[in-house]
Amino acid sequence: MTFAEEAKWADLNRILSRSGPFTDPDGTYEMAKEMILNSCKILLYTVQTKLTIHPRGAGGLGCEILKNLALSGFTDIHVIDMDTIDVSNLNRQFLFRQADVGKPKAEVAARFVMNRVKGCKITPYYGAIQDKDNDYYMQFKIVICGLDSVEARRWINSTLCKMVDANIENSFVPLIDGGTEGFKGQSRIILPTVSSCYECSLDMLTPPTKVPMCTLASIPRQPAHCIEWASILEWPRVFKDKKLDNDDPEHIQWLYEQALARAAEYNITGVTYSMTQGVVKNIIPAIASTNAIIAASCCNEALKILTLSNPPMSNYMMYTGDVGVYTHTFEHERKVDCPVCGNPATDLEIDPEWTLQDFIDHLAAKPDLQIKKPNLKRNHAQLYEHDNAAEYSTGLDKKMREMVAEGEELEVRSELPFVSKFSLVFKK
Amino acid sequence: MACTTPNGAPSSKEKKYDRQLRLWGANGQNKLEAAHIALFGASATGCEILKNLVLPSVGKFTIIDDKIVTEADLGTNFFLDEESVGKSRAERTAALLEELNPDVKGAFMNDSLSNLLSSKPELFKPSTSPFTHIIVVSPFSTPDILQLSPEIPTFLVHSLGWSIVLRIMAPTRCIVETHPDSLADLRLFNPWEELTALAVEKTKGLDKRASEGGMDNYEHGHVPYVLLLLKYLDDWKAEHNGQYPSNYKEKNEFKAMLLDKMRTDVPGGSEENYEEAAAAIMKNLKQADISSDAKEVLEDPRCINPTADLENFWIITNAVRQFRDSPAQGAGLLPLSGGFPDMKAESKSYVELQNMYRTRAQRDAALVLENAQATLSKLGRDPESITLEEVSLFTKHSNFIRRINYRPLTCEYSLPCDDHHRRTVIDALNNWDTEESLIHDYIAIRAFQEYYSTIGRFPGAEDKGLKKDQEMLEAFAGDYLKTLDYIGGLADRTKNLVQEVVRAGGSELHVIASFAGGMVAQEIVKVITQQYIPVNNTVIFDGIQSKTAVFEF
Repeated sequence: MTFAEEAKWADLNRILSRSGPFTDPDGTYEMAKEMILNSCKILLYTVQTKLTIHPRGAGGLGCEILKNLALSGFTDIHVIDMDTIDVSNLNRQFLFRQADVGKPKAEVAARFVMNRVKGCKITPYYGAIQDKDNDYYMQFKIVICGLDSVEARRWINSTLCKMVDANIENSFVPLIDGGTEGFKGQSRIILPTVSSCYECSLDMLTPPTKVPMCTLASIPRQPAHCIEWASILEWPRVFKDKKLDNDDPEHIQWLYEQALARAAEYNITGVTYSMTQGVVKNIIPAIASTNAIIAASCCNEALKILTLSNPPMSNYMMYTGDVGVYTHTFEHERKVDCPVCGNPATDLEIDPEWTLQDFIDHLAAKPDLQIKKPNLKRNHAQLYEHDNAAEYSTGLDKKMREMVAEGEELEVRSELPFVSKFSLVFKK
Repeated sequence: MACTTPNGAPSSKEKKYDRQLRLWGANGQNKLEAAHIALFGASATGCEILKNLVLPSVGKFTIIDDKIVTEADLGTNFFLDEESVGKSRAERTAALLEELNPDVKGAFMNDSLSNLLSSKPELFKPSTSPFTHIIVVSPFSTPDILQLSPEIPTFLVHSLGWSIVLRIMAPTRCIVETHPDSLADLRLFNPWEELTALAVEKTKGLDKRASEGGMDNYEHGHVPYVLLLLKYLDDWKAEHNGQYPSNYKEKNEFKAMLLDKMRTDVPGGSEENYEEAAAAIMKNLKQADISSDAKEVLEDPRCINPTADLENFWIITNAVRQFRDSPAQGAGLLPLSGGFPDMKAESKSYVELQNMYRTRAQRDAALVLENAQATLSKLGRDPESITLEEVSLFTKHSNFIRRINYRPLTCEYSLPCDDHHRRTVIDALNNWDTEESLIHDYIAIRAFQEYYSTIGRFPGAEDKGLKKDQEMLEAFAGDYLKTLDYIGGLADRTKNLVQEVVRAGGSELHVIASFAGGMVAQEIVKVITQQYIPVNNTVIFDGIQSKTAVFEF
C-alpha cells in the first residue's frame, strides 16, 4: 500500500499533496512521500555519557521527538541514549511508567512508540557515539539533538561540520537542536558550514556563577554556599577517596545535614533537602508542556526541511512562557573565526606575565572558548598535555613569556573533536 | 501534596514531581490537583493539551466527544491505537490518557458542546458546573462558544495546518507569585533610620588606613557594597546640597568618586566589594517606585472599596493601599519585599545587614496585616480569615502583583464591531511590521471560523473545489474587515494564509498539534496555579515562520 492510499495518513497526505503559497517550487509531492516513507533515516541523539562531563538526559525532549517523528510518517528512526529511567522523569517523560524505573530509556521508549504507531521502526543504540565513524552519520538525512549538555552538543556539532565534503554524497547532514529550562526553551537549525553552528553561538550561554573557594571555606552567606562547602570541601575531608554519588539518597542526606549544621553556625536560613539536591546535582526545572513546545518545533522544522512543504524558520527560536508568551525568532549569524565551521588561527591576547596555569585557566573561563583539559602544542613541541598532567606539573608555574614568543601559533586540542589555532598577541 | 518526611528527605510524591515543584511549589501543585478540566474535542490537539496536564497531575479530566475513531485519527493522535478504530473516541482517548498517570482520574461523555449546551446547561453554569476549567478545540461554532460563561476559565483552541490560535476567557486573574527575576529592593535613596545608623557605624574608618586607626585591607575589602553605597551617597549629598545623584552624568561622577576610594595596593589590584558597588549603581540608585502593574491594582475599584464577598487578594491590596497612604506606615512607598542579593562580605556582617532588610519587611507585613484585619472587621468578616503567612507572601511581591481583566468573548464577535477590537486589528494592519504580523493568521482563522459556523464543514476538505473555497474564505475575511470599517482590502499575506487554511482542509499536523499541546498547557497551568503570568487574551503561533504574537482582542 502506498503512502497516499493508507487511510491512516489522510491528514498528512492532504497537506503534503497540495502546495502552499510559501512552498519551495522544487518541492514535489513525490519527493515528500519518498522522504517520509523510504530510507529517510533520522538520528535522535539524546544522552551521551562517554564524555567526562555528567550529562543531564533530556529524555523529556526525547520522548516527545520520537512520538512526533513517528506521527509525521517517518519510519526509520535511530535513537542514542545511555540513560536509565528515574522516578523524577515520570512528570514529563510520558513513554515511561513507574514499573519502568531503572530500565534503559531508549529501549523502553522505542518499544512503546513502535507498539502504538504501527509501521514505524525505531532502533535504539546503546553505546559510545565517538566510536562511530563518518559512514555512520552519513546514513542519516537529519540529526535531531535533544540533550542538555553543552559538551555533548559541541561534540556532535563539530563532527557534523567537519564531515561536510563537497565530493562526498550524503556528507551534508543538517542538525536540529532543542533545549528547555522551566517555562523557557530554544530550538535551532544548523546547516553545517552553511549557517551558524553551535560553536558560533557559544558565547550566548551564560557562564555558571562560580563561588570563590574562600567564600565556601570561611565566609558563607547563602544556603547554597553551605551546601557547596559540604559537597566540595567536607565530603573529601571526611571520606577521603570515597566518591560522592549524587544519586545516592544517603549521600545527599549526609550533605544536607552537614550544610544545615554549618548554616546554623553562621545564622543562615533556608537550607532544605530539596535545595541540597538541586545544588549538588545542578537540577534544572523541567515540565511536560515546555518539552512539548520545543520538541514540536524541532520536528516541525525537520518535517519542513525534509518534505519542502514549507520553508524552514530562520534559524533560531527562543520561547519564553513565564510572562505571557514571547518568542524571538532570528537569523543567528555565522562567526567568521569560528574554530569549528570558520577559518582557524585567530588572534588570542595573553598577558606575557601569566603562568602556564593562568593561561590554562583563561582558556577554560573565556566565554567564547571554554576549552577545558587542553593539550597545547607549539612548533610541533608539546607544551602541555592534560592527559599526562603529572609530567607537566613542574612547568605550570613558568611564565608564558619564557615559553612562547609573540605572534607564535599555538594549537589547542581538548576532548572535543576539533583543533583551535591561536596566534598569540601579548598584552601591552 | 504529601509532606516531606521527618528527616527532611522528600516523599515519593515529591520525588516524582520534583522538577515541577521547583517552579510552582506545593501551593501551585495543590491547586493543580484540585482542578477538573473539561476537554471538548478529542482531536490530536485536544489530547496533546491534556497529556501535558495529566503528567504534572491535574486532579480530574473529562473528555467530551461524539466521534467514532477512524483510521485517519491514528495518523495524528498518539492517544489512540489500532484497537480503538470503530469505538468511541471520547472513551478511548480518556483511557489512554488516564493510563499516563495513576494519580489522575479521567472520565468521558459521548456528546458534543452544541448538544450539551441545550441538554445539560447546568454543566456550564459557574454555580453548578463540575468543571473548574474548560478547553474547547476547533471545530466549534461561534454561536456555541458565545454561550460559554466568562466566569469559568475557558481556552478556545484552533490548530489547523501550520497555524495555532489560543483565546483565553476568564474572570479577573489576580496574581501574587509572578516569579520576577529578583525581588531585591535596596531602598538606597529611601533608607530608614536603623539602616542609615548601621551604615554609619559599619563604615567608620573606611577612608583611613589601619596605620591611621582606620580599617585594615581585609576589613576594607569586606564591607558589603550596600553599606558602601549608603556611605558614599551621604558624602555626595553633603557636597551637592543634599541632593542624590539623579541623572546618568551624575551617576557616572558618583561611580568615579567611589572607585577612587577603592584600595588598589591590595592583591589583585582591586577590591571586589567596590567593583560590586560600582556595578550596582545604574540599576539601584533610584527613588523607591511603584510599578505600573502594582499601580493598576491599587487603583482598581475593588481595591479602593473592597466588599465582604471579595477574595482575600482585594482585602490585602486595600490594606497595602492604606499602608502606602499612611504617613506613619509606608509614607508613599510599598511594603519592603525583604529580598536581598548576595554580595562580598563576611558572614556575620552580611547576615546582620540581610536581617536589617528582613526585619523591616516583617514590620511592614505586620502593619499590612493590622490594616487588613481592621478592614475585615468593618466588613463583618472574621479578622482571622487572613493570616500573616498570606500577607507576607503578598508584601514580598507587592511591587510585582498583576491583575488581568479578560475582555469577554462577546466583544470580539459583537456587531456592530466593538471599538477596542476594531482598533487592535486595524493598528496591527497599519503597523510598520504588518508584512510579518501574525494578524493575517488571525484573519485567516477568523474566516475559517465564519465558514465553519455558516456552512458546517471544513474549507478545502475535498481536492475538488479548492478554488471555490479559497474565494469563499476570502469573501468571509473581506466581510469581517468591512465590519471593522477597514478600507485597505485583503492584503496579499492574508490571502496567502487563507490559502494555507484551505490547503489544510481541516487537517491537523501532529507536530503543530503537539506544539499547541505545549503552549496551551503552559497557559492553563499558569491560570490554575495563579503563578507566572498568562497571556491576555490571544496568542497566535505561525509554524511556517516559527513566530508567536499576542493580541488583546
